[in-house]
Amino acid sequence: MKAIKARELSKTFRVRRKEKGMYGSIKSVFSPKAEEIRAVDKISLTVEEGEILAFIGPNGAGKSTTIKMLTGILYPDSGSVEVLGIDPTKKRRQLAYEIGTVFGQKEQLWTHLTPYDNFLFFGAIYDIPGREARMRIRELEDVFELGDLMDTPVRSLSLGQRIRCEMAASLIHRPRVLFLDEPTIGLDPVVKENVRSLIRRMNREMDTTVFLTSHDVGDIEKLCQRIVIVNHGKIVLDDSTAHLKGGDVSLEKVIMEIYQSEGGRPEAS
Amino acid sequence: MLTVVKNQVRVCLLSVKYNIMREMLNKVTFLSNILFMVLNNATFLIQWTILLSLREDVGGYTMREILILWGLAASSHGLSHVLFARVFSLPELVINGKLDAYLVQPKSVLLGVMTSSTSASAIGDVVYGFLLLCLSGCGFGGFCLFLLFTVTGAVVIIAFALLLGSLSFWFVRADVLQNNLVNGMISFATYPDGIFEGPVRFLLYRVIPVGMAIYQPVHVIAAFEPHALLEVVGYAALLMTVAVFVFYRGLRRYSSSSLMAARM
Repeated sequence: MKAIKARELSKTFRVRRKEKGMYGSIKSVFSPKAEEIRAVDKISLTVEEGEILAFIGPNGAGKSTTIKMLTGILYPDSGSVEVLGIDPTKKRRQLAYEIGTVFGQKEQLWTHLTPYDNFLFFGAIYDIPGREARMRIRELEDVFELGDLMDTPVRSLSLGQRIRCEMAASLIHRPRVLFLDEPTIGLDPVVKENVRSLIRRMNREMDTTVFLTSHDVGDIEKLCQRIVIVNHGKIVLDDSTAHLKGGDVSLEKVIMEIYQSEGGRPEAS
Repeated sequence: MLTVVKNQVRVCLLSVKYNIMREMLNKVTFLSNILFMVLNNATFLIQWTILLSLREDVGGYTMREILILWGLAASSHGLSHVLFARVFSLPELVINGKLDAYLVQPKSVLLGVMTSSTSASAIGDVVYGFLLLCLSGCGFGGFCLFLLFTVTGAVVIIAFALLLGSLSFWFVRADVLQNNLVNGMISFATYPDGIFEGPVRFLLYRVIPVGMAIYQPVHVIAAFEPHALLEVVGYAALLMTVAVFVFYRGLRRYSSSSLMAARM
């Protein structure tokens, strides 16, 4: 069964343009100028249930915009999307029970609360009864090795510890599809490896479909069976990781070459 | 349906509880915020006491009506800021793309956003409002009406702020409009409506909804009129319906952002 089906998905943003300096500011008041940026341009893709997919591309390629349309955060201008057979534009709340999201650059946890209180809050959000929620928190505590952190306010945790807690919180309702937008950003190599092994474990034990964006080739190489590269809002490559890795050239180099040949700006991992 | 409402209420209450817990992290600041808000409000009462010792009434309001007016303005303003403080900074969330976390949750986006913050000093407003009600000498009936109008007043204030704040889905600086008109509404709410005439009176009853939030309820508490009461309740419900409609229409235009953000 297909976990994600997107067809001809497009999104355009209207961005205001202003000449530099005070003169530019005054001029923009009387004669405002705007430009339309096509962030996502007729993207079509499908993801199988249980698959781990890397959705990558240079900055501004349209990765986050696509994820946001798949999760119901943004409305597409045109095209259609179904996640687990649910249209996010029509049944956002119903879909939210089935998916989990981790945005590496945006925290969803309350920083003054402990992870335990946060997990209880997330349990309430997903209508999980108190006893059941406490049981799942114990499970997550074991899986993510959060034992020592459970009574520490989130604001006092390190970045790696916070990301672990973010992931745990996003899994309390046992989502069937997990959207991870740069989950390892800013983490040290050891913590990165821990996060990767957690993602692998979730996928293996719970058959969770994982839709991952990352600039880190290590994430892609160690986790993903398939790579989709986007640039300028379009899919420029859709292939298996094994196929791309074939030969003597490293995956990082292959990806860099694709970015450069498509006119994108490569990111150092 | 009932379970859905029950679960939503449970999340909202948890959110308010966690907000208050955050404010209580520093107990001294928390308590002094409440206390100083009560004292700050009380200074205005001294001014009115002096003014009303010089003349019998101002705009048809005696000391009793002034106490009810100030009490209702404080408690409505306080209740709206204790429960739904974030609605007053909605433009900032919209412009900076900070609604993502609420949009991926299976609950009402609007309630999630509005209950995500509280104001400790607003608790002082609520306390002050009910203290003034006690001083005004209203009976049990007056107390019940005051309670009802505190809720309708808060609903009108929230709806007005939501309506103006939602304009930020269309206009970048809707925050300026929201701040000015909502603050204007609160300022006008502390003066007797009898002193305003002509276009200003029209403005206060028809454009800035302070008339329906505060003035008309004060008149109903002073001299009960069922028709006027129903008008206030109906107006609050209608304004909130329009505000919620505009918010969800605007939400379709939400463009998120890639800014780093934390839930503070």
